[in-house]
Amino acid sequence: MRPPVNREWPETRLARVVQALEGEILEATDEEILDAARDLGMDLSMRGSAAFLGLKYPLIRRRADFFGDRPGPGDSLGQLARDALEAKEPRGKD
Amino acid sequence: MARPNWQLQLFAPLERASQTALAQGLVSEMDLLRLKTIARLHARGLPPAVGWEDLLQEAFMRVLTGARLQPPQVPPVAFLAGILRSLRSEHWRRARHGAAAGESGRRIEAAREPAASAPDPECSLMAAEQLVAIERLFAQDPVVLEIIAGLAEGLSAEQIRNCAGLSKTEYDSARRRMRRCLLREGLTCAHQ
Repeated sequence: MRPPVNREWPETRLARVVQALEGEILEATDEEILDAARDLGMDLSMRGSAAFLGLKYPLIRRRADFFGDRPGPGDSLGQLARDALEAKEPRGKD
Repeated sequence: MARPNWQLQLFAPLERASQTALAQGLVSEMDLLRLKTIARLHARGLPPAVGWEDLLQEAFMRVLTGARLQPPQVPPVAFLAGILRSLRSEHWRRARHGAAAGESGRRIEAAREPAASAPDPECSLMAAEQLVAIERLFAQDPVVLEIIAGLAEGLSAEQIRNCAGLSKTEYDSARRRMRRCLLREGLTCAHQ
């Protein structure tokens, strides 16, 4: 017998997951937040900790934040230059 | 006379809102990080023009301006998280109506209609992609993936434990790993 077809929309499923995960984050203790920050090499007690970027300090925007991973004209020129250099002086050769 | 810092005034609405919330004692620094993680979670699947910063700033503004009054029995962080959730729903609804209006060319009629029972295919695709993205976060942890699958089905904690054959200790331990992973994801600075 075929399994019943799941008629639920992805939005419904996503909303459930997000709401449940929201509850998990609300339950997270300060110690858990500190541990997660430590995993990332962040020291939350430091003035100017990166964890507070966008909250206490302006968020630093990078090119990829706006244009994704698409290479720009500058990137391709840089790549050309790198390729030319590598062709001239192959790596690993003394 | 002190000159205004135009850069701060023009480009830092969230920083100003969160600093005000901190100064007023509405939230602590740790709460800010919780809210950042929650805002990043709720921003998943929203149109690219809407970032987590926009959601969080709007939530702060609604509380700070008194547009939303906090019930005394609800902690401020939970209240702000609830606002983030409703903002997310608003954006989803707007995206769905926008798509419907674009298809039919009847923008006003579409906006007046109640929420459609069948979502827009584009919204469904975005939601499905975000579900996959969330699952990818926990790709290394099959137990957490089972919990996520159960949550998506709307199962209770007990049902998930029974389906996955997990003891209470295993379940709680998986939840701790899940929280840590989510917090790591939320604390990073990358824009999603």
